Amino acid sequence: MQVTGGKSALSRPRQNHLDLARRILDLARERGMGPGAHLPEQFLATQCNVSRTPVRAALKLLTEQGLVEHAADQGYRLASGVSLAGGLAEPLPDPEEAELAARIIRDRAARRLDETVTVGEVMRRYDADRRTVLKALGTLAEDGLVARAPGQSWVFANLPDSLESQSDSLDFRLILEPAALTTPGFALDRDRAAALRRAMVALLAEPDDRLDGTRFGQLDLEFHMLIARGASNRYLSEALAAHHRLRGLPGAVVRSNVVRLRQAMLEHLQILDQLESDQLAVAADLLRVHLRLSRSQRPRAANRGVPPLAIRPAPREG
Amino acid sequence: MTIGPTIALFPEASFGAALNCVGIARALKARGARPVFICHAGFSGVFAEYGFQEYHLPLADAPVPETYWQDFISRHQPHFNLDPADQIETYVAPTWDAIVETAEQAEAPLFALLQRLKPDAVVLDNVVMFPAIVRAGCPWVRVISCAETELPDMNVPPYLSGLPADDPARWRAFIDCYNAAVGPVHGRYNRFRSRHGLPPLAEGRFLEPSPWHNLLLAPSVLRHDRQRRLDPARFTFLEGCVRQEAPFDVPEFAAGEGPLVYVSFGSLGALDTDLIKRMIAVFATFPARFLVNVGAFRDAYRAVPDNVILDQWFPQPSVVAKADLFIHHGGNNSFCEALYSAVPSLIMPYCWDGHDNARRAVETGTGLWLHRANWTAEELKAAMRAALDDRGMHGRLAENARLMVPESGVELAAERILAVAQGGSEGDVIPGSVPEFG
Repeated sequence: MQVTGGKSALSRPRQNHLDLARRILDLARERGMGPGAHLPEQFLATQCNVSRTPVRAALKLLTEQGLVEHAADQGYRLASGVSLAGGLAEPLPDPEEAELAARIIRDRAARRLDETVTVGEVMRRYDADRRTVLKALGTLAEDGLVARAPGQSWVFANLPDSLESQSDSLDFRLILEPAALTTPGFALDRDRAAALRRAMVALLAEPDDRLDGTRFGQLDLEFHMLIARGASNRYLSEALAAHHRLRGLPGAVVRSNVVRLRQAMLEHLQILDQLESDQLAVAADLLRVHLRLSRSQRPRAANRGVPPLAIRPAPREG
Repeated sequence: MTIGPTIALFPEASFGAALNCVGIARALKARGARPVFICHAGFSGVFAEYGFQEYHLPLADAPVPETYWQDFISRHQPHFNLDPADQIETYVAPTWDAIVETAEQAEAPLFALLQRLKPDAVVLDNVVMFPAIVRAGCPWVRVISCAETELPDMNVPPYLSGLPADDPARWRAFIDCYNAAVGPVHGRYNRFRSRHGLPPLAEGRFLEPSPWHNLLLAPSVLRHDRQRRLDPARFTFLEGCVRQEAPFDVPEFAAGEGPLVYVSFGSLGALDTDLIKRMIAVFATFPARFLVNVGAFRDAYRAVPDNVILDQWFPQPSVVAKADLFIHHGGNNSFCEALYSAVPSLIMPYCWDGHDNARRAVETGTGLWLHRANWTAEELKAAMRAALDDRGMHGRLAENARLMVPESGVELAAERILAVAQGGSEGDVIPGSVPEFG
């Protein structure tokens, strides 16, 4: 989907720049960087598997937030007084349009908004001015979540929030994620992997009645993003990362029971074992198994006296 | 390594029975047994997702149209609006036809499977007996996860009638009508039993109590005062079989505040999107927050109010524990979960034992009964207000939960099943001999 609108794209933080800024903060935290630590653009570009241009944009965003300082002769450094202690993903304050974009997509996922909306409708619903609404819709358009339709209308893309689209998502990942591991050149971010392992082990230590499904969702995305970022092929990496961002949207979460959550986390750890031992082919095989087991096989409906019938998307071989 | 006894659980293909058995199976596993599930191929995946081995009975050969469930709901929707007595001809008898047909089709593959599995015990949570289970030669335990009315008694209203406990004068007419309507299929079923060496069952009965042990999912607050006391050596009442799920974080609503209402009519009820849309229109004008289980049909809804959140699946026991009111169809599992968490029920039954549970909720002051379709917006709001504001009901529910929660039904069920699997003797309950009305 093309970015539409043709407006001042440079004046607003794009979602991928926000994501990259968070990754830079994570990286700094994992490396134990303190205030004043140097943030070389090339180093960050290599670590994040992107070119220097988006790294610069992300650093500029962090500078605007006061988390990073820039000096012409010294480049970027972590700002003094910045504490990076905390979880895996330090929340970054979202600007007004990013917050509005999040509310729009949340309300679409909740079916409060129809598939097609007009700018006027959005302005009235959120009591926002036209400029902010257009910026928010533009942000969503960049991630392929909405496209401009004739007139003042915008049409939402299909969100991965139905059984059918979630099944398609798993098929897509079955094709690409193992390939990310087996294509020569996969580079595991070992610091991030170690941090993830600690977080997953901590989650598994919780008893069933405290096993936080939301936390599971965050760690699941982090784990699969780790694989996406490690891929040597940039298009493969970008396709997977974009898809995981979609999976992170409200409504796209596949809810599972506590047993499956726990089992899925154990499968993640087994894959991590193989990744850290450089057994990439074995890791890819385990990943296929993990994705197949993650597909919901529950029937859509059942009732006493009705011949039990499997009316659901048929699993396809990946 | 010692491998514990293999327990083959065979719940009927409905989520209530299935999840009830999942709770029991987890307790069996924790005690070292090897629980496995037998299920129809069309009902697969539910148990595997909880980490259990599944063995599938084959599907019927006929191809299944994609529109099967929509056709089903279109055909039966008018019947669900009828009184229980009027459902006998339109829904209950055809359903028994389907149940018996499924049992006949399952017999040969089930027998073959049990011969291979050689379980130490079979746990049957169903409404019909499969001769293969008796023929397997191992002990079997019956779980009655429907309402207590499924096990007849002179003091218990007829099964599926929704009739009051204190008005037995009306029971006879229902039973006569019921027996007349299901007579042909009952005859067919008894002939099926006879072909496989089982004695016939009394009029209207399709499943006998187990001579080893029987578990009834009937919390004490709901129990009837039976004329004939059930022998505790052969019958155990459970205070519910509520399974453990991950905690549920109440999501942020776009707007609205007030009590939290959880709405779920089961997977069958989710098919009736028109009814749920009518309800959502009322919810929009009611000062509460609503979580609505819409199954796989979220795309059927638009302009969802800010105080309503739809989802395709909820970890129900954890959601009910956070709710102030549970609107459901009277499924026994749902009703028990509401009681376990001391949450009032507003029951809008479709069919089967939902009517019995709705009646019992009113009789015991643990919930309210509203016709599933014949209501105005004001009547629905009044029913919700009444259930939310009834301090007396809340007190009864809290008192009951204090008794119910420590009496873990799943643990007790696992204990009884293992006792049977590990050498419990067959008792002297003769099939079909439990005293019953009429």
